[in-house]
Amino acid sequence: MKNQANPWLTSNLWVLGLGMLPAILLIGILLYFTAWAFAFSFTDLALVGRKSVEWSWVGLENFERLFTRRGFLESLWTTVIFVFFSAIVGQSVLGFLLAAALRGSRSMLRSVVEVCIMLGWLLPDIVAAFLWSATTAQTGLINQLIITPLGLPPVNFINDYALPVVTIANIWKGTAWSYLLFSAALDSVSREVVEAAKVDGATPLQRIWLVQLPIIRPHIATNMLFITIWTFTYFPLIFAMTGGGPGRQTETLAVFLYNQSFARGNLGFGSAISVAMLAIVGFLSLFYLRLLREPK
Amino acid sequence: MLKKVLLGSVAALAMTSALSAPARAEVSFMYAEWIAALVEPGIEAFEAETGETVNAIKLPGQGYDQRIALDLSAGTAADVNLMDSFMVSELASAGYLHPLDELLAGWDQFQYYMPGLLEVASYQGQVYALPTDTDVRMLWYDLSNFEKAGIPTPWEPKTWDDVLDAAQKLKDAGVRYPFQLPAGTKQAEAATMQGVYMALLGADVPEGDRNRLLNRETGQWIGDSPALRRTFDLFHQVYVERELNTAELNYATDIGAAVRAALAADELGILASGSWEDACLWDCNNPPSREERDATVAWTPWPGSGVEGAKTTTNISGGWTIGINANAADKDMAFKLITSIFDEGNFKAWTLANHRMAVRTDISESPEYTADPFLAEATKLAADTTGRDTVPGYQTVSALIQQATADILDGVPPDEVVQEYHDALVDEFGEENVVTYE
Amino acid sequence: MESTQPSRLTAIALTFMAVIWVSPFSWLILNAFNPLSTGQLEIPSVVGLDNFGEAISGNAGRQFVNSMLIAAGTATLSVVVGISAAYPLSRLKIPGRNAFLWALVLLRMLPAAGVLVPLYFTAQRTGLLNQLGVIIALTILNLPFTLLLLKNFFDTVPIELEEAAYVEGASLFQIVTRIVLPMSRAGIAVVWFFSFTGAWNEFLLPLIFARVQDAFPMSVGLYAAFGQQGAINYGFLTAFSIIYAAPAVGVYFLLRRNMNTGFAGVGVKG
Repeated sequence: MKNQANPWLTSNLWVLGLGMLPAILLIGILLYFTAWAFAFSFTDLALVGRKSVEWSWVGLENFERLFTRRGFLESLWTTVIFVFFSAIVGQSVLGFLLAAALRGSRSMLRSVVEVCIMLGWLLPDIVAAFLWSATTAQTGLINQLIITPLGLPPVNFINDYALPVVTIANIWKGTAWSYLLFSAALDSVSREVVEAAKVDGATPLQRIWLVQLPIIRPHIATNMLFITIWTFTYFPLIFAMTGGGPGRQTETLAVFLYNQSFARGNLGFGSAISVAMLAIVGFLSLFYLRLLREPK
Repeated sequence: MLKKVLLGSVAALAMTSALSAPARAEVSFMYAEWIAALVEPGIEAFEAETGETVNAIKLPGQGYDQRIALDLSAGTAADVNLMDSFMVSELASAGYLHPLDELLAGWDQFQYYMPGLLEVASYQGQVYALPTDTDVRMLWYDLSNFEKAGIPTPWEPKTWDDVLDAAQKLKDAGVRYPFQLPAGTKQAEAATMQGVYMALLGADVPEGDRNRLLNRETGQWIGDSPALRRTFDLFHQVYVERELNTAELNYATDIGAAVRAALAADELGILASGSWEDACLWDCNNPPSREERDATVAWTPWPGSGVEGAKTTTNISGGWTIGINANAADKDMAFKLITSIFDEGNFKAWTLANHRMAVRTDISESPEYTADPFLAEATKLAADTTGRDTVPGYQTVSALIQQATADILDGVPPDEVVQEYHDALVDEFGEENVVTYE
Repeated sequence: MESTQPSRLTAIALTFMAVIWVSPFSWLILNAFNPLSTGQLEIPSVVGLDNFGEAISGNAGRQFVNSMLIAAGTATLSVVVGISAAYPLSRLKIPGRNAFLWALVLLRMLPAAGVLVPLYFTAQRTGLLNQLGVIIALTILNLPFTLLLLKNFFDTVPIELEEAAYVEGASLFQIVTRIVLPMSRAGIAVVWFFSFTGAWNEFLLPLIFARVQDAFPMSVGLYAAFGQQGAINYGFLTAFSIIYAAPAVGVYFLLRRNMNTGFAGVGVKG
């Protein structure tokens, strides 16, 4: 440890340790429960019935079934598309652009835009699902306002373009988070730095790209990790809107996981699915971690 | 500042939550919101008569099944509980419910319960809960579209071919959803009950349970059988081969509303559903007049497949029940609460006001009940009904059936679907508990 | 302080976006103010507040209080526990701390529903089948996110400021409360708000933890709109969800002022 230069820390180590204690305790509980979820993936544990009490170890059988039974691989592909377009491209980029555009502004416009994106974030999932279904239905807003006036036959978007519709709905629902995080992060970029760049003649785009982005790099990485995880595991919106259908068109891994663990009641197989999801996102996050590294 | 206020509120909260532990009541009772009109007058009558207080816990329907299973297994459940009939055997087999036979023997109104319906709430010959209501299933059809397609009404199909022919005529006449047959995972239990099981029961001879999902004699699930193949083929014909319907309605966000809208727009031909549609095909709480309903839609029993020896019409019923927690402190008091709820005056008033199908003969044979032509007619179907295979594991099998219909909608050939279904059953229950019929 | 106004082009683009963003709400508003609502997108023939009346009748007041307690309690507990662990994590060079925090966040991918049963049994044994139990459970589930975010924000506070304060004789407590916390105000507000909204919308935990009907929050009350056979009372659903979302939006604006002050009142001169 090289904290010699920070005596207010080194002389108070026990206080700092005491402060960490509650978190350590709670994290311990979380790890304990998580260990259970891991262990379940090697069992035939069921939600109800005999196997919910008298479960047994089944080795790697659940993991083998990920590849030998219909569902997992298709869902994985659907999830990758959903996460990429709704979270990484949609929420993250849009959230950053909004935060950068509205930074420092005190105008009415900022309040209006913030209320709009905040309402999406705060609306209960189930209500958001009905709202988007009503908007994209044959008698919905898009048809009444755009398609029909153009003289085209009404389109049942939610059935014919299910995956794009749930993707857009999720951008609408989730952008608030990225916006909030980036707003707060941009706030921590000191104004002097930005002003200095301005004086040096940097264009607004250059100021964002060359000055602000590098400084908030850790927040970008963290945000990527968070929204990837949330979108990977996010299920109420899609489940209420399409139930994963038509067919399996919008059956993301989270919906597949729900169907296997709760509808079918196979918690063992369900746990195996979530462990596999964890491995996939863990691999993805290695790329994000590179973002965290300081440039040479 | 804000934070200090909030810190204070947390401390206050810790104290209030310690204080607001449930008041000690003699009897606790958990039920779902939608049945309040039946149970709440019963609770009042019980409290007035005994002087006890009831700790009533009213829950939304959402998440109800999860909570009751968890509560009963953790020993935190109320003394008296409302539950879906299909859960009774599962919960009884785990020892969570108190058998009612002895208590029922001392109740003069028990004799009126229909035996077939008590069977659904029984496990190994003992009654574990009393049904609140029941339902039957049938094919509804839109009269104006039948006229447009030139199909004479009243429509009386005798076989599946008659149904498919009618659907073909409706399709040719431009009807958008000629035969709405519930299928797919979003339909959940409706795909199993209103769709698969209604077809399956008439797909083969009843001997040896060849027309069911379970051989009730041996307790083995049927992984492959001519009846299953015929049933899946029916779905394949409707959704893929002859395109007598699109998948759309099955994946609508609010399926009920989508079906209602289709009916209002004259886009619906035949709808496989149940007795509740008499009101719920419109606004459940506010249906149009009897005359208006009769002028719009009519219904016919589900015909059998036409295979020799198979049933000519089929039906399957579900419903909700009320039972007693095996850990209830005072079972006599708990049972007294149940009898207050199901006391003839209260029970009958609710059944009539809500157009429920009666589960007791003293109500179903009353002049007020038989005066409702729909209920009187539909109750006849209940004479030859059956229940789900309510043995432990049913929920799993039902989910697999729903997945199978979803795959058919997706265009997977029925042969492959049967194979997948069989393999999944073996995964879940082991080779020895799955049987194949040639 | 200078406040940069967005250029005209940006303003037009933002206005356009705001319009698109709010347009789906037309469905919510039209149904909420339509006493004869059917869930379709249509101009109501009668306009009235009947749905709102229905939504606030019954247990809504009590449920609102419960929601506030659960959400504010969870957010505050998360932030307090988070801060006292994240500050040491940010300042002490404990090897592998980043990897550890990331791993924790990743582990949260395992669905909470999968551990619902053990969680429930634990709460039952410890006598926590109440709102305090809900708050603690939600805090546990939040903690990985909270820790990582707070640590990131503390990382951006220059250590030179703390050094200067130490030289001037400030204690650790003073350094944290007078320098670190105000400087990370925006970040703390974000974390607090994030925990707040998560708990505000939580449905399953309060539903199964509550032993008495009076303990249900608004997230449970919302589901009164769903009847049997999938019948949905859209008037109630839309009106209730407006009432339900409004306080959380209000909390955001209360906090936003907090976030916007940013550096004000702090001697930022490195």
